[in-house]
Amino acid sequence: MGMREKDKFELEKSNENPINHHSPGGMSSDWRFNTTCIPNSSLGLVPADNQMPVCRGDLVGAASCSSASVIDSFGPAMWEHPTNSQNLVFCDINVQNIASSSNTVGIGKGAPASLRNGIDRTLEMGWNPRNSILKGGIFLPNAPGMLPQGLSQFPADSAFIERAARFSCFNGGNFGDMVNPFGVPESMGLFPRGGGMIQGPAEVFMGSGMKSVSGGQAQKNVMNAGEASKDVSMSVDDMATEWSLLKNETKSESLARSRDEAKQGVGGSGNDSDEAEFSGGRGQDEPSMLEGNCGELSAKSLGSKKRKRTGQDAELDQAKGTPQSAEPAKGSPETQQKGDQKPTSTTSKGGGKQGKQGSQGSDQPKEEYIHVRARRGQATNSHSLAERVRREKISERMKFLQDLVPGCSKVTGKAVMLDEIINYVQSLQRQVEFLSMKLATVNPRLDFNIEGLLAKDILQSRAVPPSSLAFSSEMPMVCPPLHQSQPGLIPTAFHGMESHSDILRRTINSQLTPMSAGFKEPAQLPNVWDDELHNVVQMSYGASAPQDSQDVNEPLPPGHLKMEKLQMLLVDLFEAVGCPQQRVLRAWVARNLSLSWGFGFYLTTSVV
Amino acid sequence: MTSKHVIAAARTSSIKTRFARRFLRSLLKMKRSNRLGTGSQSNEEIKKRSTHIIKTAAYASMARAVGPRRTWSRSLLFKLRNPRRIQGVSSKRCLVTKENKNKRITRNKMQIISREPPSRADSLRKLVPGGDSMDICSLLEETAHYIKCLDTQVKVMQSIADYYSN
Repeated sequence: MGMREKDKFELEKSNENPINHHSPGGMSSDWRFNTTCIPNSSLGLVPADNQMPVCRGDLVGAASCSSASVIDSFGPAMWEHPTNSQNLVFCDINVQNIASSSNTVGIGKGAPASLRNGIDRTLEMGWNPRNSILKGGIFLPNAPGMLPQGLSQFPADSAFIERAARFSCFNGGNFGDMVNPFGVPESMGLFPRGGGMIQGPAEVFMGSGMKSVSGGQAQKNVMNAGEASKDVSMSVDDMATEWSLLKNETKSESLARSRDEAKQGVGGSGNDSDEAEFSGGRGQDEPSMLEGNCGELSAKSLGSKKRKRTGQDAELDQAKGTPQSAEPAKGSPETQQKGDQKPTSTTSKGGGKQGKQGSQGSDQPKEEYIHVRARRGQATNSHSLAERVRREKISERMKFLQDLVPGCSKVTGKAVMLDEIINYVQSLQRQVEFLSMKLATVNPRLDFNIEGLLAKDILQSRAVPPSSLAFSSEMPMVCPPLHQSQPGLIPTAFHGMESHSDILRRTINSQLTPMSAGFKEPAQLPNVWDDELHNVVQMSYGASAPQDSQDVNEPLPPGHLKMEKLQMLLVDLFEAVGCPQQRVLRAWVARNLSLSWGFGFYLTTSVV
Repeated sequence: MTSKHVIAAARTSSIKTRFARRFLRSLLKMKRSNRLGTGSQSNEEIKKRSTHIIKTAAYASMARAVGPRRTWSRSLLFKLRNPRRIQGVSSKRCLVTKENKNKRITRNKMQIISREPPSRADSLRKLVPGGDSMDICSLLEETAHYIKCLDTQVKVMQSIADYYSN
């Protein structure tokens, strides 16, 4: 939704203000806004465009329109108009900027945009810088890095500074609100400050700015004070100046009420963490200031304060959890809108825009995240993510199956792989059927107790050495019957057999030891067996080492107990392997017992 | 990783041993009860019947060796336990669904359905016991385990057949 709104806004902006065309990205870049903030900025721009007409009427729009920044400024001006005709517009702009600038860069951009708004460039500049500082500077007005951007913006704004100065105060309030929508904690903090600034009338601003100027802020304030607009532009040039402006705004408010408070607010602004608190303080101060300054202004300022406060809350929420920030931000926009509506009908528009902006701002992070990950619309995001997870799962299992099914490793494509898997399962099931048929014919011969059968089964390799042991010999045996019984089976069965042998080899090579252990599990301890086997083999090997394998074979088998034992063990091994195969066995013996291939061969052959 | 492998290997081997034990026991039972190879039926029939019985015994012993941990073994055991019930239910269900399909589905939909060849996943579902109710992910998982077990089964049966045939 936010994206769509942004897009619409951008379109509107582009239509209304050629300068605005920058689009979110362009705007941000032009304005030095963070690219990330683009959507926000664009949003802000849209509202700005809408407001622009109004703002222009108010004077704000005209000034801002001058350049690309004009669009932005218009937006702000518009915004300011609703709440405090000029100030409100600026605030909106700033807010937009902030929203867009959720990143520090975005702040910088926001500041430029506000400058462009130019209506009261100085004011806007000041606001923008503040916003930018807040965003970019991490809410700390002091952030030096922010200053450059602000400076650039400020120049543009300088023309408007004076107007902005008036509006800026208002805007400050708006900004605070705007910030809230943005949901950026830092920006939020800045907003409150900005709001405070806004609340303080331009004059107050100047004065407060001067007073607050103390330190870097003092300078900024001075700039603002001395032709708030011009100074503001100057301050804009320097991030510090921007910060000071923001601080000045806050300070101005506080100054109106009390310089001390303003200073505190400034100090708070100086510290990002403190910004929230400061903003709160400012918000409170602002109301008092407004009241003291003018009934109307105070009313507006109160609205702005309320907004600011909400914004602060939103900021806090955001700081706590970005997701939560969206709601607070929305709430703040609403509050802002209300405030705007009260002051003027235009404000309501601005508020609506602000609300949109806020929502957009909150949406932006999600969208960006989505964009990075899925490249899809928001609606499909969760679905696409889930789908991706599912696909990963499937491919993972497919890989696993690939290892299980012979001949599947070469296959590419899941469909073909599935076919292979199906074929393999079918072949296995046919093999079971064939074997059961074979067993049925053989069955009558069964006449042992189970243990005896098991033992014999284990020893079967001895009884049926060539066929069972030798894979090559086994193949022909299996194939013919298969062929006879089920012609279609032959190829698959053969394939399965082959694969089976391959798998066996693999598994045996890698896991023969554990398998044999597990195999013997029931009757004997695997480890013991393994050790025994190892020892036996070693012993026999030691004995036979000097001689030829054949020579060893002759003497050992007959009388050598250990050799017999070894043979038994090997038989067990065969059983463990399931489908004994000389090659496999040899490989295993050679590998696990560190015997020569030849000796392994001798062992197997002797067993056979 | 190595420990994993060892455990997996031990489990498979134990499954294998358990299966071999069960299968041999059931074979012995059959032999003792003289259900196989006797009777007035013709040789072919006896062979067919004993083949079927042995096959069933092999699947049953494998499913019992695996236990109820796996979906496919569970469904296999269930089918073995209540063959009639399942058959009746399935046939009834089939009838109902067919009727419903005929009644409800429009011609276009029918065409679409008929146009689509049975997907590979569906054919795999038919092969893996209990695969009808599985989604593709779990189906693949079950298939992997089922293939492993079938492999072991075939190996053991092969060795037994080799042993007896000699």
